[in-house]
Amino acid sequence: MTLYSTPDTDAVVAAENRPKALHRNRKGRGIGLAIGAGLLLIGLVVPYVVNDNFTMSLLVTSSLMSLMALGIGFLARYLGLFSLGHGAFYGCAAYAVAIATTNWGWGPLPAVIFGTVFGALVALIIGVLVVRASGFGFLMLTLALSQALYQMSNQTVMRPLTGAHDGKLITYTGNATFFGLSMSDMMDPGLFWPVAWVALVVTGVILWLFGRSRFGTTLEGIRENEERMRFSGFNTFRPRLAAFVLTGAAASLGGALFALNVGYISPDILSFGKAGDSLVAALIGGLGTLVGPVLGTFLFVYAQANFNFGGNIHLLTGVLLIVVLVFAPGGITGALTKPYRYWRAKLTQRGKGAEK
Amino acid sequence: MEQLLNGVALGALLMVLSSGLAMIYGLRGVANFAHGALYMLGAYLAYTVTERIGFGLALLVVPIALALVGVVLELVFFRPLQHRSHIELGLVTFGLAMMGERLVTLIWGEGTLRVLPPEFLQGTTSILGSDYPTYRLAIIVIALVMAAVLVLLLRFTTIGLHIRSASQDIETAAIMGIDANRVSLIVVSVGSALAGLAGTLAAPYISLNPGMGDVFLITSLIVVVVGGVGSIAGAMVAGMGVGIIQTIGAVYLPSFAVLLPYVLLVVVLLWRPQGLAGRKV
Repeated sequence: MTLYSTPDTDAVVAAENRPKALHRNRKGRGIGLAIGAGLLLIGLVVPYVVNDNFTMSLLVTSSLMSLMALGIGFLARYLGLFSLGHGAFYGCAAYAVAIATTNWGWGPLPAVIFGTVFGALVALIIGVLVVRASGFGFLMLTLALSQALYQMSNQTVMRPLTGAHDGKLITYTGNATFFGLSMSDMMDPGLFWPVAWVALVVTGVILWLFGRSRFGTTLEGIRENEERMRFSGFNTFRPRLAAFVLTGAAASLGGALFALNVGYISPDILSFGKAGDSLVAALIGGLGTLVGPVLGTFLFVYAQANFNFGGNIHLLTGVLLIVVLVFAPGGITGALTKPYRYWRAKLTQRGKGAEK
Repeated sequence: MEQLLNGVALGALLMVLSSGLAMIYGLRGVANFAHGALYMLGAYLAYTVTERIGFGLALLVVPIALALVGVVLELVFFRPLQHRSHIELGLVTFGLAMMGERLVTLIWGEGTLRVLPPEFLQGTTSILGSDYPTYRLAIIVIALVMAAVLVLLLRFTTIGLHIRSASQDIETAAIMGIDANRVSLIVVSVGSALAGLAGTLAAPYISLNPGMGDVFLITSLIVVVVGGVGSIAGAMVAGMGVGIIQTIGAVYLPSFAVLLPYVLLVVVLLWRPQGLAGRKV
């Protein structure tokens, strides 16, 4: 096996050997789950510490957008695919919630479930068309198809459903509640925060578990050398599609909850700028780690709220994106973990030297 | 008939814009997301030059100015970053596109602007019994001439041969003694100049607003994918096709027309994933 393995096919070898290594990382999983649970509890205290409503609403928005960025980060990390289309799932799910509650009189909880499933379905349809492409093809196709959805939502024919250019105000029938939150509670960032935070942490943990599973290793193998994976008897289309739909579902959950929290959807949610925002935020945060995209999104939302002098946010993010890509391709988390990785590489090198 | 000519006019613009995009893609392996911004910049510069001096001069000055922008793009971004992954470079151009839109707003304001064509092109001309705006005919003629010149340059000159060989396989071309950096400089500046020309031609035809780049960028990305990524001839044919289909579609299916390019994209992807003129990679 070592005879044929070159550095860039390590992941393929790992995927081929995966069944043997299935039970090796139990301990790591326990630690990860413990960290997740800890984060969950710490996060729940936040509304008691932050009293200011504005900051709180930024945190809620960040968490919901982070769900989308988590998905984009997962695709980039495990498949090397950069998606400009996840904004579409986020937006479609938000519209689905708005339509289910306002037009059909559903309660918020079924509406959120419907929205997430609907967004995942859109991801499935788009996924069938795009996941065969790689690199630039994927980037362009996700952009083009999400723009098709934007155009569609804006059509006059769609007015009864999406409200076209006017956007759509969400109304509920009767005294609808969502986990005990009334309609006005849902729009209160302090009260809605636990929902957003739990969704974010749980989704993060789920994606992390998927990444560690056999599925994740298969994806890494496909990323490194798809042809060899096919020769080794793997179907490479289905895992790609599954990853695309999984991350699309994460983005959809974010969008569905966003709809409840904001109570108003404008077509802007599907626009060209929005599609890029999340990818840019994820890139700036760093795609090498799970938390990178989340960190990037929180920073992005904060910057958007505080440094948006006269609408110059895109000028600033454009500059920042270029600076990060040119000088620190790993993003912020990449730059932060660089000394650690350097140190670890040195240590293992020394260890190997001692063995010899 | 009139609608068909409108379609040809839009198609001619798309041809000019997309062939630049396809040329840069072929050579640097990068879909230049800033292409829409270049087109927009061309249109706005045309506005300023027309206000100050005249439209005729704008046709000459704007492409030259945009070619200089292209030189800067090549020297500052494409060349130093050519050994990075193509995706990273593409995302850099995405960042440029984000900046471009905002810069245009800062300089020229958010409102829509109009450019008037020169007087002798303002009236209508009678073609086969129907009156048609002369300016649109001028667009068609100029754009088609440009496309023809481009094709002739690519087919029958040494530099054209170099460009075609480098866009097929830049490494082999370099081994055979072609200066890939020089070829790339020419291609990026010519591509930008073509975007500038398309912007100038479009300026009197549409109204200028800071969102105009996005729409055109996406349409021309679709054109490039449909035509076959990296194929200049494919992009030209697809550009004309998309222009005609979209305009004719607007007459018969008004509420559906904006979606037609996307439908076309999906159909082509399912039927021929490598594009109309693409080679199987």
